[in-house]
Amino acid sequence: MPVVTLYFDRLQRLVGKTSKEKIISALPFLGLDIEEQTDQYIRVEYSPNRPDYATDFGIAAGLQGLLGIKKGLVKLDVKRGPYQLKADQSVRKVRPYVTAIIAKNGNLDDETIRQLITLQEDLHFGIGRNRKKSSIGIHDLDKIEFPIRYTTVTKDHRFVPLGSETEGTISDILQNTEAGLQYGKLLENAEAVPIILDAKGNTISFPPIINSALTTVSSSTKNLLVEVTATDKNTAEDTLSVVATTLQNAGFLLTSVQISGAGNTTPSLKTKKMSLGVELANKILGLKLSSSIISTALKKCRLDALPKRNNISCTIPRFRFDILGPMDLIEEVALGYGIENLKPTLPQSSAVGQKNIVTKQLDLLSKIMVGLGFTEALNSSLVSKNIQYGMTNRDSFGFLQVVESKSQEHTILRDMLLPSMLDTLSRNVHEQYPQKLFEIGTIFSADDPIKEEISLCCISAHKDANYSEIKSILQSTLKTGFNIECETKTSTHFCFAKGKTADVIANNSKIGAIGEIDSAIVENFKLRMPVVAFEIKLSGLIFN
Amino acid sequence: MSQVLHPIEKKIINALKETEKLNIEELEQKTDLSSDQVRRGIEWLKLKGLADVIESQETKHKLSSAGDEVLKSGLPERKLVNLLKEGPKSFDEAKQSLSESDFHAAIANAKRNDWIQIEKDDSTTKISLKVQDPPLSAEEKVLQEINQGTFDQNALYHDKNQHEKLVGYFRLKKLGIIEEIVKKSKTISLTEKAKDIDTSEKGLAEIDVEAAIPATFVARAHPLKEVINEIREIFTSLGFTEVLGNFTQPSFWNFDALFTPQDHPAREMQDTFYIKDFVANKVASLAQIKQVSKSHKLGWRYNWNIEEAKKMVLRTHTTCVTIKYLADQKPDEARIFSLGRVFRNEKVSYKHLAEFNQVEGIVVGKDVTLRDLMGLQQEFYRKMGLSKVKFWPTFFPYTEPSLQSMVYNERLGKWVELFGMGIFRPEVTKPLGITKPVLAWGGGIERIAMLKYGLDDVREFYNNNLGWLRTAIQCQ
Repeated sequence: MPVVTLYFDRLQRLVGKTSKEKIISALPFLGLDIEEQTDQYIRVEYSPNRPDYATDFGIAAGLQGLLGIKKGLVKLDVKRGPYQLKADQSVRKVRPYVTAIIAKNGNLDDETIRQLITLQEDLHFGIGRNRKKSSIGIHDLDKIEFPIRYTTVTKDHRFVPLGSETEGTISDILQNTEAGLQYGKLLENAEAVPIILDAKGNTISFPPIINSALTTVSSSTKNLLVEVTATDKNTAEDTLSVVATTLQNAGFLLTSVQISGAGNTTPSLKTKKMSLGVELANKILGLKLSSSIISTALKKCRLDALPKRNNISCTIPRFRFDILGPMDLIEEVALGYGIENLKPTLPQSSAVGQKNIVTKQLDLLSKIMVGLGFTEALNSSLVSKNIQYGMTNRDSFGFLQVVESKSQEHTILRDMLLPSMLDTLSRNVHEQYPQKLFEIGTIFSADDPIKEEISLCCISAHKDANYSEIKSILQSTLKTGFNIECETKTSTHFCFAKGKTADVIANNSKIGAIGEIDSAIVENFKLRMPVVAFEIKLSGLIFN
Repeated sequence: MSQVLHPIEKKIINALKETEKLNIEELEQKTDLSSDQVRRGIEWLKLKGLADVIESQETKHKLSSAGDEVLKSGLPERKLVNLLKEGPKSFDEAKQSLSESDFHAAIANAKRNDWIQIEKDDSTTKISLKVQDPPLSAEEKVLQEINQGTFDQNALYHDKNQHEKLVGYFRLKKLGIIEEIVKKSKTISLTEKAKDIDTSEKGLAEIDVEAAIPATFVARAHPLKEVINEIREIFTSLGFTEVLGNFTQPSFWNFDALFTPQDHPAREMQDTFYIKDFVANKVASLAQIKQVSKSHKLGWRYNWNIEEAKKMVLRTHTTCVTIKYLADQKPDEARIFSLGRVFRNEKVSYKHLAEFNQVEGIVVGKDVTLRDLMGLQQEFYRKMGLSKVKFWPTFFPYTEPSLQSMVYNERLGKWVELFGMGIFRPEVTKPLGITKPVLAWGGGIERIAMLKYGLDDVREFYNNNLGWLRTAIQCQ
């Protein structure tokens, strides 16, 4: 989850009259997890449903509400301006939607710029789905001649990209810049790529890849153009609403851009009305709050709320698109009322709980194994191919593999437990013998589509370990615990030595194998003792 | 003097009374004890001040496999001499007869030994012998002595006239032609005190009841399993019934049914394990698929794709099991729980595992509340022995409202984040025909087990380190 750094001096200035201590203790109740704290700053983790918390402007607004300094909704005040942006039909094929807004007369210090960049990156990653669904460009307005145009160009189009001093073609940028290489695939090899041009024909932006150097924002920039391009119109406006709200909180004055062409329209950024039933809110929270207390709680979460008989009429700012319905409003009520004021209650129940029959049988089995002197081991279901196949001298085919595992130790789903148990012994050769271990675990095989069964593996290593010992353990386990008789029939198995291997037969079917581990495998695992083992499938044997 | 001795100690003392000085092998033979027993016995005797141990070390030399080769065919310089016995040769001729690397070594060493002379005229460089039959060089002498077993390295250090031989010895060692074998040995003898000890039959009947003895380990269930069992007991004692499900699941139940959009970052391969080349044939009932698809279209505004929902994943939470149970059974009232392995495509570290255990509790009922959820939580922790609990708001994609619980850990002296909880979103429950509020909470079990066993590295649970498995003790 994303993390934001908050400097106390800035935050205190933004929140208004309150102490540092009050701020620190209130932060978790906004849903922010404290990661690190020093004298100057605090680092908090925020949830992906609140991208407005990517800057201290958003968090300050939240704190003002919770601390009761300012309540209710902050209206977006957007003046109508002469600015125009027209989209050409050609963008429909590549990236159909565009929206924009102007922010004027603001002050950008370095920290504000840094926070805006963080906000932008978070929006790109989250609702922008790594710029695929929506991406943002923030520009120096004074470098741009209106009206501007959202259109497409071929890849020989030239401009100076952000962070560069020389002109390059679109192809150059796609092939030679970091942004081009990272996001170029979003354009899926389109012949014509999206571009924003101003009235003089200057390139402003090449979405969703990179801005132009011409409109670079610095700490001396006073006026901004924010544009968002997207594959979904609603997402474009969602994205814009967060940036616009943040800029207004940062002291900018918002002015609209008239947008037209190819199904695009001027964004309304208007609030949403929603009704919340007082009874429902109380029922879910387990409280008996009056409609006015609920309204106050909602206002502390920076929403507007008007009690009307049994309902509360709520007004939700455009950027709170995480609020989908009444349940989301009820969470706001809980936050505004104070989670610390909710006293836990223990609901009575006449229900009698019980473990699953499989769990019960496995518990019993585990107790028997322990009683027989075996200690329980636990291994991963995802194992390494080398241990599962290479070290046991087995052909590797037909195994179930996961895609792009981050660890070589966890790449395939095990089809038996024994190899991991041998590996366990090999990592414990320095420990006192005898070593007697068992594991109960899930094994996997390709079926329709995948079969999961539970298996028991039992292994014994010491200087006198022998076949009779382990066969006796096997028979005693099944007989004592489950009244199952089993027999052993001469057989062969890649793990066990020739002439010392048998199939385990119960109820006339093969349930596993038993034997003395083959000396070549003992050698592979660098074990210094004779090892005997058995592995049997429990599914269908002691439960269904 | 009376001293209580272990039978092993007595045997050793008796052997040393017969022969004053013995090494370990000799003691093994005389006492008929195993090497381990002899070593242990000597340690005990040493601690009691009854035996002296003098450690010594002896260095022996032998030819390496390269050395055996050299012994047969001669050092490069000797090969060169043998060649020159036929008459003077040019550089090129010599190079052809010897290998390239041998040639350079041969020229350098033969010159140093003053065996050859090199004359240049206009076109070629001629090598000829200075002495018709050069005597053995220092290296060759060392080689022979080592081969015959008469080599004495110490003698070389003490005799100035042997300096050249010493240099030759080091040269051969550097070339890997000879190897050193260091053999350590221990000579054991009795101290004066020990000589007076009575080791007669009468003495043998007594044992040292105060001596340290080897540990006996009890067989036991895995420490993590003990915590898992405890959690199961608590859930059943609170009236919850266990449901189980597969580790491999169609994306439909792991994600789609929980209102996770198909382009959500959590569904990417960097976070979730997809099973290569396997898709589910049937993921859910037609009605369930239809309703879930509709909910996604409405809530997330995109075209939901059944093929994505068919992809098989290793479950990332146990919620896929509980939601399927609720969707199939549609209970008006229920207390269920699900516990088991879940998977994340994470880099394994002291904090994170790719595979771990999760538990999840579910309460369905027409009158259940968020405060009830908090109360159940508090009761669960109380039964686990964790008494200081508080709640903070948080976000989960499929619950609303959502909370997280913080539990105070005495050992760490701080609040630790444990289970998350919430009420299932209507976008999750409605399409699946679940009409009553569903309280859900859960989280990773290893985190709690780490607190219980005082571990700082979660990997310890799966290392199967026998030393730990045999002795782990719960501390909280």
